Amino acid sequence: MSVGEATGRRAAAARARAGQRTGFVSESVKRTTGWSAALVVVLVLSLVPVLWIVMLSLKTPATATDGSFIPHQWTLSNYSDIFKTGIFTSALRNSIGIALISTALAVIIASAAAYAIARLDFPGKRVILAVVLGVAMFPQISLVGPLYNLWRQIGLYDTWPGLIIPYMTFALPLSIFVLSSFFREIPWELEQAAEVDGATPFQAFRKVIVPLAMPGLVTTFIIVFIICWNDFVFAISLTSTTRAETVPAAISTFPGVSQFTVPYGDIAAAAVVVTVPVMLLVLLFQRRIVAGLTAGAVKG
Amino acid sequence: MSAVAAETPAAPKPRRPQLTGRARSERRLAAMLVGPAAIVMIAVTAYPIIDAIVLSLQRSDLRFPNQSKFIGLSNYGHVLSAPVWWQDVLHTAIITVVSVSIQFVLGMALALVMHRTLVARGLVRAVALIPYGIVAVVAAYSWELAWSLNSGWIPKLLGLTGDPLSHTFGTYIAIIITEIWKNTPFMALLLLAGLALVPDELLEAAKVDGASAWQRFMRITVPLMKPAILVALLFRTLDAFRIFDTIYIFNQGAQGTESISMLNYSTLLDRLNLGLGSAVSVLLFLFVALIAFVFIKGFGAGVAPGGATGR
Amino acid sequence: MLAAVAAAALCTGCGSSSNGSITLNWYVFPEPSGSFAAAASACSKASGGRYNIAINFLSTSSDQQRVSLVRRLAANDSSIDILAMDVDWTAEFADAKWIRPVPAGLAAQIKTVDLAGPVQTATYQNRIWAVPINSNTELLWYRKDLLADIHQPVPTTWTQMINDAIQLAKLGKPHYIEEQGAQYEGLTVWFNSMVDSAGGQIITANNKVVIGKPAETAASIMHRLATSPAADPSLNVATEGSSDVAFDAGTAAFEINYPFVWQSAQTANPTVAKQMGYAPFPEVVGGIPPHVSIGGYNLAVSAHSRHSQLAFDAISCLTQEQPEITYAVKGGLAPVRRSVYSIASFDKLYPFHSMIQSQLQTYGIRPQTPAYADVTLAIQKALSPTSNINPKTVVNTLRNEIKLSLSSEALL
Repeated sequence: MSVGEATGRRAAAARARAGQRTGFVSESVKRTTGWSAALVVVLVLSLVPVLWIVMLSLKTPATATDGSFIPHQWTLSNYSDIFKTGIFTSALRNSIGIALISTALAVIIASAAAYAIARLDFPGKRVILAVVLGVAMFPQISLVGPLYNLWRQIGLYDTWPGLIIPYMTFALPLSIFVLSSFFREIPWELEQAAEVDGATPFQAFRKVIVPLAMPGLVTTFIIVFIICWNDFVFAISLTSTTRAETVPAAISTFPGVSQFTVPYGDIAAAAVVVTVPVMLLVLLFQRRIVAGLTAGAVKG
Repeated sequence: MSAVAAETPAAPKPRRPQLTGRARSERRLAAMLVGPAAIVMIAVTAYPIIDAIVLSLQRSDLRFPNQSKFIGLSNYGHVLSAPVWWQDVLHTAIITVVSVSIQFVLGMALALVMHRTLVARGLVRAVALIPYGIVAVVAAYSWELAWSLNSGWIPKLLGLTGDPLSHTFGTYIAIIITEIWKNTPFMALLLLAGLALVPDELLEAAKVDGASAWQRFMRITVPLMKPAILVALLFRTLDAFRIFDTIYIFNQGAQGTESISMLNYSTLLDRLNLGLGSAVSVLLFLFVALIAFVFIKGFGAGVAPGGATGR
Repeated sequence: MLAAVAAAALCTGCGSSSNGSITLNWYVFPEPSGSFAAAASACSKASGGRYNIAINFLSTSSDQQRVSLVRRLAANDSSIDILAMDVDWTAEFADAKWIRPVPAGLAAQIKTVDLAGPVQTATYQNRIWAVPINSNTELLWYRKDLLADIHQPVPTTWTQMINDAIQLAKLGKPHYIEEQGAQYEGLTVWFNSMVDSAGGQIITANNKVVIGKPAETAASIMHRLATSPAADPSLNVATEGSSDVAFDAGTAAFEINYPFVWQSAQTANPTVAKQMGYAPFPEVVGGIPPHVSIGGYNLAVSAHSRHSQLAFDAISCLTQEQPEITYAVKGGLAPVRRSVYSIASFDKLYPFHSMIQSQLQTYGIRPQTPAYADVTLAIQKALSPTSNINPKTVVNTLRNEIKLSLSSEALL
């Protein structure tokens, strides 16, 4: 499947490039066809698993194990089911709260650091960058044991701060990376120009720099939020109850109808509910995300 | 906004060769701005890993709370002599090598599509990012249920009679495909960053000289992308080596698919054997450091300071 | 600031309710029929305002329940008062001092009114550490019509059963033997039942590792099943739930599973349910009566609970005869009290109750050691997939790993 897909895409791209040699009119038709084919391939491959989970969430419990892609019997009961017990609702609340707080803290701290890295010269810049890199490459799973042990001794096990602290830490490298590349792009001279025109330093900062920095801050916020929202390792290691369990962890421990059944429909419904906001974010902000993650090389 | 408030010290911009006073105040400012980030990162990673090293030298098991004692390197001995350790290293290596190489090829193709497509560029990029944004757990469930004999559609599609997830080979295929699906977009973005920097004029000139598309790709694009390629491979390899979410959701490492991260997790947090588990954590950390070292020093992955490359 | 936030976040489970009575938090598996929840509110009312039992559901998977409880108990979480322990956790929790021993009076009562098997599961080092609430044991379920097709009586040994299945396979009829072969606790239950039924043991009461020839016999039978036509293609991922589904779907001739399958078949496939018969667990060695690993749950009081006396009172109420009958009739859970088995109405709704009672008297029991989590993991890993078992070497492997586990030295 994957080999065929690669060949298909490559063929489409190669066809498009080859089309340049055979004359102008057929060339552009060939190219468009080629790229359209590539688009369809990307669409199908990206969306099929997502559609599958949506389909599964609409199946009745009786038909959940019948193996068909499209449900034979439709129902919305799975969605109402998951909100009946308090587990999913608390998990949503925990996920939203913890992700928002971690992201906000990470963006604040990273902005300060990124500003310094992008604009100031100081000894130890190399050291800081090495630290940033080190944390980016760090195996988070190596920390779950010591963090569990430490948290249980100081009472942070199964609490919001218990998750916020590691999330914030591991979001910093990517935040600093994205923000410093944004900050490098800002024309800082405009601030001086505003001051020359009579603005105070603070006014100049607020009215000129902040609007220019906003896109970078927003992009970083979105990218980091997605990372915190999706985390699984820390969530299942450092939480146990509805006090702090986030959605990814809750989905994996959903109670079923009986002691021995797996609630496929409920899991799928929960999966859809938790995926939709992130997908919307991704679709709306794709340009910003691509620009941020490619360090501004691709501006869309 | 507080983000802005953190940046409001009225530091003068360096317009002239710096006076000692200005340089000093700039350094002070830099220390204040970078300080919090540095402290958080170092504290939250260094302290636990040192704690892990200390624990790894003890017999420390939360089920036998009164029997902790110092035992030196014995835990490392037990880990390195346990067949399950080397089996898991092998499993992890297989998954890493196979999925990263396929991701690389597909990611390159996807990057080319995202860069050069004439049709619905925004749509392609948006849709291609969906696997990136999806919660890893959801992706794993989706693929696991798709491959499952009773509830899934893939066995029917491929006309399989046996249960692919009951066998090691089938499970590996399913897990690797999930990993490829989830991570190719990110690989593509990292490569796209490099692709976008290849000057079009060079490619045009080569076209005029009669070079084929393949030749242009291999002789111009790829060599110029080398730094981006190395960075992409480095980070994706490290990520793949740490694989956890997908395997956990699929089958918790049964059918011979357990990875090192899963071994770490189960020893520490299921069995509460902190001593042995910490030894596994430290060894995993060393493995990761080794891989990074090989890439940076051996292949020359361009992560030198000056270009602040992150994840 | 962090400490204040932490304290606020921690206190959401704090236990006192507005009307003055103490809230006791009971953590238990999600019992689907609601009989546990009903008993909790009945006992709260009967306490006359002294306590109020708040029932909290854990995950359906026993392994997951253990992980959730164990981490909180090791973190000195005081928001757990009563916990429902799977029968094989007693030694671990008692030795780690996570639960309190049962007061002498209640303990004496349990020994008189409950069946021998459940009482043994609640015992560690000659003390009673928990109060049994329900038990469970696996029976043999079979298709009467398929046995008639091959003119065979109900098999009484594993060898007979496998041979019957092979015969059915040759005739092209449904022939699978459903067992739990996934890499999880159900596999340990299977193995342990086989070893005990072969006259052997894995570990003795004082942690001596005695696994030997009987285990080899057990392993060979498991291997024979897994490599014969009787094996369900999904044996390597089969759990109690999927075994039940497969039998109801009509592809199986035999099934080893808990009594919940009886009710499940009536609802899922009445045609199959009509042909469904039940028999005791087959013998492993002809002539030796089987000892089937018992399951079930025991209620314990957390060592960090602030209301232990009230908690024991509550537990005593939850395990009286009347609620026990409801658990059995509504929830399909095998009772632990001897007297319940002689109640007339029980017969109709729980037709196999005498088989269950006798299996609970001549019980098999999984190793009672604080390192049980390791022992079961070693067994699961050594025996999965069942088709790859090498009966000659697997016993030695298990012996070594279990020995290492007892001193926290085994990497599994």
